[in-house]
Amino acid sequence: MPVNVIVFGQLTDIMGNRPFTVDDVADTSQLVQRLNERYPALVTAPYIIAVDKQIVNGNTVLTGDNTVALLPPFAGG
Amino acid sequence: MLTERKPKNIFTQGAIDPSFIATSIQKHNEKTNIGGHSIFLGQVRADVINDNKVKAIEYTAYEEMALEKMHQIREDIFAKYPLVCMHVHHSLGKIAAGEICLFVFTSSQHRKAAIDACTETVERIKAELPIWGKEIFEDENYQWKENK
Repeated sequence: MPVNVIVFGQLTDIMGNRPFTVDDVADTSQLVQRLNERYPALVTAPYIIAVDKQIVNGNTVLTGDNTVALLPPFAGG
Repeated sequence: MLTERKPKNIFTQGAIDPSFIATSIQKHNEKTNIGGHSIFLGQVRADVINDNKVKAIEYTAYEEMALEKMHQIREDIFAKYPLVCMHVHHSLGKIAAGEICLFVFTSSQHRKAAIDACTETVERIKAELPIWGKEIFEDENYQWKENK
């Protein structure tokens, strides 16, 4: 199943500003593993994950057509 | 009295104009059950780091998620404090040092609810809304803002 990936803040320095698609990932762990291979700097970057705008803890199954956002520490205000 | 609990946009492109804040205060003239307002204004600070001065912060957000989260915060705050109303505005884009980037405005019959609700809302905005700030220095280098 393809998932849409969007990143924000300091992660745009590593991965760019544009949303992209990753094919054939079953869950968030697999996605992270795939992204780490593609963007080695991501391995040590701090971030949390939101699937379809909900923050998830631990590995989360992707059911298809999900939007996965990688969110570095928030800095509003 | 009506409260404003519908999901609404909090984002403004560019700085928050002081005249907008004044108008916003003025609009409460007719809500005569209000006895106290509390206002927090966030201003972009010209930090100096290694002899390099911050000239602006460029804000970006995961807007859809931030608005959903803000709606939830608003509901929580209204459930916890007897507020008459609450208004939140956050800037996006490049905001120069000295300009206003956050405006939180709470009103209640008696001061304590307005003050406590305002403080708690500001803290939650900083901790929970997916917003990022790129601190741009005078020499055009940048670093990512970290909330303390």
